[in-house]
Amino acid sequence: MRRSLPAVLVSAMLLTACQGNGGEGGATSAAFDPKTCQGGTLSVLNQGGINRLDPARLYTSGGGNIPSLLFRTLTTRNRLEGEAGTKPAPDLATDLGTPSDGAKTWTYKLRDDVFFEDGTPIKAADVKYGIERSFSPDLPGGAPYLRDWLVGAANYQGPYKQPDGLEAIETPDDKTIVFKLSKPEGDFPFLATATQFAPVPKAKDKGVGYDAHPISSGPYKIESYEPKKSLELVRNEHWKPAVDNLRYACPDRIEVTAGLDAAVINQRLVSGAGQDANAVTTDAAVGPEQLAQLQPGSELEKRVARGEFPATTYLAFNTRKAPFDDPKVREALSYAVNRTSVVNALGGSAVAGPSTTFLPPQKALGHQAYDFFPAGASGDPAKAKELLAAAGKPGLTIELAHENDDGNGLGPKPAAALQEAFKQAGVTVKLTPIDSATYRDVTGKPATQPGLSLQYWGADWPSGGPFLIPIFDGRQIITAGGNFNLAQYNDPAVNAEIDAINALTDQSQAQQRWGALDAKIGKLALTVPLAHEKDVYLFGKNVKNAVPDGWRGTYDLARISVK
Amino acid sequence: MTRAAVAFRDRGLVAGAAIATLMVVVAVSAPLLTAISGQDPTTFHDGLLDSARGGVPVGAFGGVSGEHWLGVEPGTGRDLFARIVYGARVSLGVAVGATVLQVLIGLLAGLAAGLGGRWADAALGRLIDLVLAVPSLVLAISLLAIVPADWPRPVLLAVVIAVLGWGGTARITRGETLSLRTRDYVAAARVSGAGWFRVARREILPGLTAPVLTYAALILPTNMIVEAGLSFLGVGVRPPTPSWGQMLSTATTWFRADPMYVVVPGGLLFLTLLAFVLVANGLRRVLDPRQSEFLR
Amino acid sequence: MTGYLFRRIGGALLVLFGLTTILYALFYLAPSDPAVLTCGKGCTPERLADVRHAMGVDDPVHVQYAHFLEGLVAGRDYPSGPDVRHCPAPCLGYSFETDQPVTALLTDRLPVSVSLAIGAEALSLVVGIGAGMLSGLRRHRWLDRLVNGLVLTGYAVPVFLVGLLLLLLFCVVLQWLPFPAYVPFTTNPLLWAQNLLLPWVALATIQAAAYARLTRAGIQETLAEDHIRTARAYGLPERRIIWRRAFRGAMLPLVTLTALDVAAIMTSAVLTETMFGLPGIGQLLVGAVNQIDLPVVVGVTLLTGLLIVVANAVADLLYAAIDPRVQLR
Repeated sequence: MRRSLPAVLVSAMLLTACQGNGGEGGATSAAFDPKTCQGGTLSVLNQGGINRLDPARLYTSGGGNIPSLLFRTLTTRNRLEGEAGTKPAPDLATDLGTPSDGAKTWTYKLRDDVFFEDGTPIKAADVKYGIERSFSPDLPGGAPYLRDWLVGAANYQGPYKQPDGLEAIETPDDKTIVFKLSKPEGDFPFLATATQFAPVPKAKDKGVGYDAHPISSGPYKIESYEPKKSLELVRNEHWKPAVDNLRYACPDRIEVTAGLDAAVINQRLVSGAGQDANAVTTDAAVGPEQLAQLQPGSELEKRVARGEFPATTYLAFNTRKAPFDDPKVREALSYAVNRTSVVNALGGSAVAGPSTTFLPPQKALGHQAYDFFPAGASGDPAKAKELLAAAGKPGLTIELAHENDDGNGLGPKPAAALQEAFKQAGVTVKLTPIDSATYRDVTGKPATQPGLSLQYWGADWPSGGPFLIPIFDGRQIITAGGNFNLAQYNDPAVNAEIDAINALTDQSQAQQRWGALDAKIGKLALTVPLAHEKDVYLFGKNVKNAVPDGWRGTYDLARISVK
Repeated sequence: MTRAAVAFRDRGLVAGAAIATLMVVVAVSAPLLTAISGQDPTTFHDGLLDSARGGVPVGAFGGVSGEHWLGVEPGTGRDLFARIVYGARVSLGVAVGATVLQVLIGLLAGLAAGLGGRWADAALGRLIDLVLAVPSLVLAISLLAIVPADWPRPVLLAVVIAVLGWGGTARITRGETLSLRTRDYVAAARVSGAGWFRVARREILPGLTAPVLTYAALILPTNMIVEAGLSFLGVGVRPPTPSWGQMLSTATTWFRADPMYVVVPGGLLFLTLLAFVLVANGLRRVLDPRQSEFLR
Repeated sequence: MTGYLFRRIGGALLVLFGLTTILYALFYLAPSDPAVLTCGKGCTPERLADVRHAMGVDDPVHVQYAHFLEGLVAGRDYPSGPDVRHCPAPCLGYSFETDQPVTALLTDRLPVSVSLAIGAEALSLVVGIGAGMLSGLRRHRWLDRLVNGLVLTGYAVPVFLVGLLLLLLFCVVLQWLPFPAYVPFTTNPLLWAQNLLLPWVALATIQAAAYARLTRAGIQETLAEDHIRTARAYGLPERRIIWRRAFRGAMLPLVTLTALDVAAIMTSAVLTETMFGLPGIGQLLVGAVNQIDLPVVVGVTLLTGLLIVVANAVADLLYAAIDPRVQLR
């Protein structure tokens, strides 16, 4: 999932004059008790995050932060810190699902005592309907996996045009739902955390208009909602804590304000005046102003959640285009990169770390360390020159495509850092800025794809599959657009290995093999991994239990208390 | 007293002109200045940054040193002095380019409207009204966001600012032309068989110099503000091309951690603008004493 | 008068028509495809084609434009899953990004921009006229110089620089004011004013400079006129001369400017709104432009164009009402 920030990061200043009141709000106090945490109003100060709430249209990792307050899904992330937090847990379903037919069929049983906000019991058919409507062209935006995985779903147009529904989803009774997949998918319980797996009552569906008030199945329901501006949530009386042990639902009320500037948000969190003491943010990572104050042992350090969302920033070669069809050139550039300046351009070592592997360092993704083209901290231009000379291409001139603003971390800053590093190796780089709104479209069409582009890939769920398959599976090369296999790499042996790992339902085995596959592909220098993401988020003085989960790298609104 | 003597007695004008000239010299000689300082605007200096603290420059005043006269840019370590002098090129270049274009378009349209007869006047008058009625900032933002990102940005900026802002010059030119054409010497030239083109060139244009020049001096700083604002909003010059407005927009996240990064481009922008305003103000007094306060 | 009105309205419609045509043409020529953004990551070409159709952006541009004009005049129906959404005239369509009706977005945002503009204008008038009079009467030479210097400074600062400094000083260093967050006037007038104070001051710094200059010039000019000299010769009290005659003479051009300037602030406060996080129409535009949200961009442009056109008409009428020598034609 790509967390996009508003392209225009305007304004602001952040000083922290007020260092006043000592640090009372300990983050990870062991004494936290979900049973006694109820009460108060939590403020969420955001740049965005509430553009849409229709579960069919959200593209989330693990069900999202704000959406997860409203929607229960078949499974959900288990919301634990660190490595332990990279696993799914049952949510509406009683377990993680029962695979059969070699992981091509997945069967779920729904819990008892689960209700919509109007008191109607949630049935299996509601989950099926919720998934089906995400296929409607009127409701685009969700992840593409279901379309690819479910039998006969590729051309399904949603229940409005094809009311007979998807045959691949069966609901033999109100409590049972069965999914038929076209190929074995051991990761299905991870996918079932997506908001598309939230139940939608057909009687309340207004198509596009459903977004104005999606029906809650979670601990909160919508009191008022203005997209991109504000969202006020109150308790959903029909949600029962007894059948949801993952969402603590501590605050009585949650008020989200969007459209704020990141720097202002962080300044407000630092100052913590008035209601801001009860404030958090889900999308404004700390800026340099706060990082400069975050000394070990400082008061502010106690109000900071440091996590890691599995994501990699990398250089993507189009190996069908000269000179990147020549492995020597790709290796030379791999030697030439200066990861230190890239990390600095991305915001410094607190928010990014150098990566030599395509898989980010999380164990859940199967990370195995390798560094086949050791560039050291700041590049090895001599070795790069040597390789270029051997390839008969000294003094090469290349173009590097990047986004036109730095909001997504693929902007002019890291691009300029790479330009400088390549210059040391005698390579002249012409920077090609592309509008961030269309960047993915341009690089995703082989016809318009540049030879070299700056890219970012985040984990749709913490497993090697969604990280490696779109990028390296040769059958995923889509020539008409929406392509992510930018190397246009197609090796039947790799494709077969991917299928074999997908069929595994034992995650530790799968991890081992994803890591080995990454290392194998890494030798080919199809990409140059540059950096992995680190997430640093502040929270208000009164906020308790703001623990970053291992899945998303940020704290979980469903478990925060302001009492 | 000659105009020159009047001009030299105007202290504001002299001071403004001196600063403005200095800025122009700095912008023009940016490569020379960076050669002297031994730095360039693109080289990264990771060693001068504290990576763990978000990439703020190490050392006092944003890393000021004998090598880096104004310190370095946070996050990249690029030399701030070099970026400032190259940024002056963009900020001044766009403003001057836009002003020249505005004046050219405005002069042509105004002359044509003033000399071209009823229909031309009516049609061009409507067009001028339209340009004046357009919400130019709104349109500029939309326009700049739509054009492909790889178009040469500074040229584009100048063109967009000019295309949306020539109405004022045109209106002034038209008015002056209409009043000049009724003068005896113009009528005499007409009677003696001179064509309109010749009349425009020989008789009208000289009369337009003073009002148009003062107006141009006035819109130059305005154009500079517009460029800075658009770059500040992120639709102006694209990094890594340095421009003061765009530097300020990144600087806003560094206020406390690196005040130099705000003070230097902000202060220079203010100083330059003030210089141009002083020049405009002085020019008006010198060239156009009868025209009281056309500026608002 | 009727002829004047007809010409005026005709001209206004022409301006607005021209604006929308330009925008549609530009967006059509632009390489960006709004459906790509809406469809999301990993969108297959077949899916994209369906989405494009559902959004109505697969039609040729003239058809889309005709639909738009039709909606503006007669309203439009949008099929939406099981429902049909009716968008009554004047229909500006639905935002691509949030699917809210554009007219609702605009009416929601307009009060913010109006609050910003009116407050800033009032403040500028008070400060500008006051400073202009002080300096125009030339009682103290140093005062004249001071005001003159401030006026020039006001011209030379970009609004975002003033805004930054104000935020820095009052919200961060001194902490006298909270970070601005818009509170509707109807909810709490006091908080409304408190939160808008800094943006008002930022805008007024620049606007007041213009008014001070105008007032000063106006006063000096009228004081030099014959009737004032006559009045002085007749021994009328100086105070009365200043208030009755000079002040009035100087105010005339200002009054007509006010309408224009309110509109100008509303349409150009993009920077102020984004900087202070005020959800006005400028902020709406910046967000929409980045998301290729054509209906919103067109809506904002139309509205701002309309505001300027109306303001021009009001200014003309005011001028005619105040100055009997002017005839509307």
